[in-house]
Amino acid sequence: MGRDTGVPQPEAGRPGGQKRFSAARAGGGAPGGTMGSPTQLNAPRPALVETAANGEPHLVNRELVTVVREEWRVVDRWWTEEPVDRRYFEVVLESGRNVCVYRDGDRACWFMQRA
Amino acid sequence: MIACLLIPGFELRVALRSRPRLAAVPAALAPPPGREPVLGPVTAAAEAAGVVAGMRLGEALATCPELALVDPDPAGAEREWEGVLRRLEDSGFGVEPVEPGVVVFETRGVERLYGGVEAALSKALASVGPAWDPRVGAGQRRFVALAAASVARPGQAVIVEGEEERSFLEPLPLSLLPLEEERYAELEGLGVRTLGALAALPGGAVAERLGQEGKRAWSLARGGERRRVRGRSPAAELVEALSFPEAVANELTLRRAFGALLDRLLARPERAARPFRKLALSARLVSGGSWRRTVTLREATGERGRLRSALGPKLMEIPAPVIELRLEAVELAEHTGQQLALVAPEGEDADMRLREGLRQVRASAGGSAVGAVVEVAPWSRIPETRALVIPKDV
Repeated sequence: MGRDTGVPQPEAGRPGGQKRFSAARAGGGAPGGTMGSPTQLNAPRPALVETAANGEPHLVNRELVTVVREEWRVVDRWWTEEPVDRRYFEVVLESGRNVCVYRDGDRACWFMQRA
Repeated sequence: MIACLLIPGFELRVALRSRPRLAAVPAALAPPPGREPVLGPVTAAAEAAGVVAGMRLGEALATCPELALVDPDPAGAEREWEGVLRRLEDSGFGVEPVEPGVVVFETRGVERLYGGVEAALSKALASVGPAWDPRVGAGQRRFVALAAASVARPGQAVIVEGEEERSFLEPLPLSLLPLEEERYAELEGLGVRTLGALAALPGGAVAERLGQEGKRAWSLARGGERRRVRGRSPAAELVEALSFPEAVANELTLRRAFGALLDRLLARPERAARPFRKLALSARLVSGGSWRRTVTLREATGERGRLRSALGPKLMEIPAPVIELRLEAVELAEHTGQQLALVAPEGEDADMRLREGLRQVRASAGGSAVGAVVEVAPWSRIPETRALVIPKDV
């Protein structure tokens, strides 16, 4: 079984590092944050994901994945300086919760997002 | 022009009012109980001894063993700050408070009244009074005004004209920017020590390296956005206080005192039968500090029983015996009564209730906490680009 670092690495050693990373790449904080200017809705949040050998999520935020319901890829904006290359998985966790996670191909890290 | 009036270390100044002796010795505002042990503002003597605001308590005491810690007085600070704002409002300025010790206002409306920008700023300084050592800065943008105020001497006004903005900001230190401690170190490690050096970098590269926070800092280093000042609606002065001859720690006595204060507040004619939306309960403690809790009601009310059950439990949180208890109406609702519904509300009535709910959210979480979701690209394959949340006026 392969193991993926999951959480975005550049800030992982520092307190609050994940939050900054998320804000940096997602272009804004969560909708509930301070809103002096427009903020993005449904911005991706960093997720801790361990993968199986075939690259599918095995653990999401330390919770076991029971079923991978769907998988799809989004490749877009390849002509810009911020290309999007994501491999999405819709999974059912051990608790029965349905979540969507994706692996960012450029940065090799995982995020959670409602798709 | 946008002006910014600054009173550095405002909370420490308030706390030192009852202990003026400490103003001349190394002293610092103690961290509030239960928070991170980090120092608040410090006196000039403490700065000379190597202690700076934001330093960890242990490090500060190791640096300066004779450092005196001053208990914060949040209720006093709020009261004094309200006094400063009201004096500015009495002089005709529509103020937008940023935090205790920092307020921004537009000078345009009063320039003709006082005879120009400089005269208006002098009036603002005079209305606050020299005891607070206020300083004021003015510019075309908020950040420029704040930067100008932070370099001004006590009682001085610094005006930065539009074309001077860039040259004015260039040599200023990065400490003016709202960045986390490690970001400053990161920037200094990269050889970026002034606003000018940061502003000269390409924006995309800064965002890539430092994220959203860095992008905002970069934007501020170039003067920041042009956002107009929104003057606050002056608060109604409805306060009732009760001083005890001896310090009281008994919950029953405090509850009775609170009941008496509530009755007196409800009977105030200035209320004009309007229900309360937001109330503040504060206490002066026997130790010299103070305690304050603000409560925003889920639904504006003037009913004694509901107010008691909303505020009463807060009395249990008072950390020390009390010598004075105060109850303040921070915000009143605009309506005087509410018609109960026989049938489920719909149409205009439902809309009115929704607006009332949103007003409560704004009162509780701040002026810009209410937003509207606007679809910008619902067809997009990238979920976060489909919709934006934009601030909304209620």
